[in-house]
Amino acid sequence: MRLPYAACAAALALASPAVAQLGAATQSAPPDGVAEGQGAANPRGHYAALDALPDWGGIWFVMAGPPGSAAPPEPKLKGEYLQRREAWAAEVRANEGVARRARSNCSPPGMPRIMRLAQYPYEFIFSPGRVTINQEAWMQTRTIWTDGRAHEEDPDPSFMGDSIGRWDGDTLVVDTIGISGELEIDTGWPHSDRFHLVERIHLDPADPDVLVNEMRMDDPEALAEPFEVTARYRRDRYGKLYEFQCSQNDRNPVDEHGDTRFE
Amino acid sequence: MEQTMTKLGVPLLCLALAAAAIPAAAHHSYAMFDMNKTVVLEASVTRFKWQNPHAFIEADVAVGGASEHWAIEMTSPNNLAQEGWKRTSLKPGDRVRIWVHPLRSGARGGSYVGVRLTDGSTLGDVG
Repeated sequence: MRLPYAACAAALALASPAVAQLGAATQSAPPDGVAEGQGAANPRGHYAALDALPDWGGIWFVMAGPPGSAAPPEPKLKGEYLQRREAWAAEVRANEGVARRARSNCSPPGMPRIMRLAQYPYEFIFSPGRVTINQEAWMQTRTIWTDGRAHEEDPDPSFMGDSIGRWDGDTLVVDTIGISGELEIDTGWPHSDRFHLVERIHLDPADPDVLVNEMRMDDPEALAEPFEVTARYRRDRYGKLYEFQCSQNDRNPVDEHGDTRFE
Repeated sequence: MEQTMTKLGVPLLCLALAAAAIPAAAHHSYAMFDMNKTVVLEASVTRFKWQNPHAFIEADVAVGGASEHWAIEMTSPNNLAQEGWKRTSLKPGDRVRIWVHPLRSGARGGSYVGVRLTDGSTLGDVG
């Protein structure tokens, strides 16, 4: 009985490729720059080393500039991106400052805007080979690989992009590409899918309860010169992120033209 | 909708230039609100929604012999918690005084500034 049974099972498996695939775990290769058995996927034995990293515990809220401080800098766009910006600004002026928004409020802003949102805090989780940023806004998760891997060769355009980082002393230096060209630098400031961001994130030497993110953006198609802006976050040591299920409370639904009422 | 707030007869106990800072880079722009104007509503709460992206108050406001229904947008619950708010701070039926920056359009809505609760305590900026 045994042999015919095995032959039958093998024949069935061959005849049902979908079933066979469901039963098998995906076996991805290590990413470029990470050897077999190393990197973020193999954390055991590397947790103690995390104690050498700076103390970023608690949650962090974006800080407003001090009263009377200068307005934040604006990107310098060029070409068709500048034209799009000007058309957008003209439309907003004609509409008493209210911007049209062509997607649901339940669509998250993605990078880099999501790192500069005033209302929703962040937390930074260290584990071997990676830093994970949980964002209350839209309950988004951002992964920064710190295990020495290279960027993906051709990452799928996405809201968070492809982020790799390294520790330069107590500063996390993050390099991000692969951010979707449908997203924006800030509201009304478009960029291309060649947008590139470098962040230097560190505690403020003058105040360990302030985290500083020095952001530098370049884009050979959209930006006439690199755009630099610094975000600051204040610590709430024992705070926690709240749940964010946008559809529970979406006050800005999309109308029959695909637009929402306001940006 | 084309009428001004004053023509609508909204009880303008307070109509002042507000020094409150406009939240920067928030979930959405505040351009639809007149952030330079504050109105005070004698309100009966009909609904208090304690959820992201924005908490919300809906309330009936007596104007003369009539009643207007107002929708008031707040910041995120986590930000509100930092100034003392809780999910249970308001409940339907509570009679409260609410300070808001009204919608520019004249529609009966606004951006939350502050509140005096039924027990007389206050949250936010009650000027």
